[in-house]
Amino acid sequence: MNIIKFELLKLRNKSRGWLGPILVFILIMVAFPLTVEISNKDLDQSFFAVLWIAVLLVMMLATEDIFLEDFNDGSLEQFAISDISFPYIISVKIFIYWLLIGVPISIIGSLFCLGFTNSGNLAINIFPILLITSYIFINVFSFGNALSLTKGSVLGTLVTLPLLLPLLIVLGKAVISINLNLNYLGFVALLLGVLSIIIFLIPLIISYIIRAHLE
Amino acid sequence: MYQVDRAYSYIFYVSLVLYLVSIFWGLFVTPEDFVQGNSYRIIYLHVPASFISQSLYIAMAIASAIFLIWKVKLSAYLVRSIAPIGAITTFIALISGSIWGIPTWGTWWVWDARIVSTLILFIMYLGLISLHDSFSNHEKADKFLSILVLVGSVNIPIIKMSVEWWSTLHQPASITISDKPAIDLVMLYPLFGSIVGFAGIVACLVILSSKLQILRRERNKSWIKNYV
Repeated sequence: MNIIKFELLKLRNKSRGWLGPILVFILIMVAFPLTVEISNKDLDQSFFAVLWIAVLLVMMLATEDIFLEDFNDGSLEQFAISDISFPYIISVKIFIYWLLIGVPISIIGSLFCLGFTNSGNLAINIFPILLITSYIFINVFSFGNALSLTKGSVLGTLVTLPLLLPLLIVLGKAVISINLNLNYLGFVALLLGVLSIIIFLIPLIISYIIRAHLE
Repeated sequence: MYQVDRAYSYIFYVSLVLYLVSIFWGLFVTPEDFVQGNSYRIIYLHVPASFISQSLYIAMAIASAIFLIWKVKLSAYLVRSIAPIGAITTFIALISGSIWGIPTWGTWWVWDARIVSTLILFIMYLGLISLHDSFSNHEKADKFLSILVLVGSVNIPIIKMSVEWWSTLHQPASITISDKPAIDLVMLYPLFGSIVGFAGIVACLVILSSKLQILRRERNKSWIKNYV
């Protein structure tokens, strides 16, 4: 419980870490209609394309220094040898990032969805999908970040980005099914399935990578 | 190592001859396709290339697992040396598919599940190479590369099954293990020959590339100095 509170306070005090990505997300969502014609009827069609890409890029931005600061000041090394299991600490870290960045982005995203499509049904249905997706994205990008930890570059996240592209296909299909009033729960179940695998595997893999970095 | 060199040149020439004979057979001996006309003949390049590009990734994943579990250094060299060859074969598969797309689909490129997932495979190969080269410490680079290869292997079943899971423009596989082939035997024999020939050529390239990798990494060891 202590570790959750500790991580939460640490991220909350670093407002650049969590407020920055949220602001970037809002800016993308506000700026993209300016590039298309205002009267364009297809705005709600392209909205979802921009939404998923914005979530993807913002999560990439958000995880940029998830381990870097702890690595530089040596606390990651202390975590690695402490009594509490190291993968657990990492999963807590990722969870806190999702709580402070992923959840607000999901809420803002579904509000934008309401604004763009004028459909309350769509906005409510898109919310859980956004929650699950942002959690998956944060997990995978944390993995990428751990890979290039000492480099301090975006290379690791760029390398893991292709892994998420099949997920975008699923998201596109889910939106189409919601739009056509079809049963979209299958897609939610698929996303949940992916999440349930990732949520256990990624912290284990990351702890292995970080231990290799610390050697 | 000297015996490997000799065996390697035999495999290379046999595969080259096999591939050239199959191509000749496929281009000039087999009849025209009822639906696609002469354009189908590109399968003698396209199918081997896409088949090998996925197989190379699986080979990389197996080598990575061997490296991570048993710490066999040679398999880490193998992973690094397969990556560029995999990128090239994937590129050949994409380009030949594009060329085939013009007469049959009327377009160079569609955003279709099979094609996009193959493109992702190509980007993955490039990413793996750039990740490995970004580290100056080779031992760490090997470790991270192997982990990424293993995690990235989730893409392989997605590519394989994409033609069945999504409704795509790309035709489903013509040859499967369980069913009777959907392709006539006259066309199948040269196709089979071209796959085996192509695989042999690529295997030789992998051997050559990993040999280079070993020489480069172990250049300060005494046995390398004796060999060279």
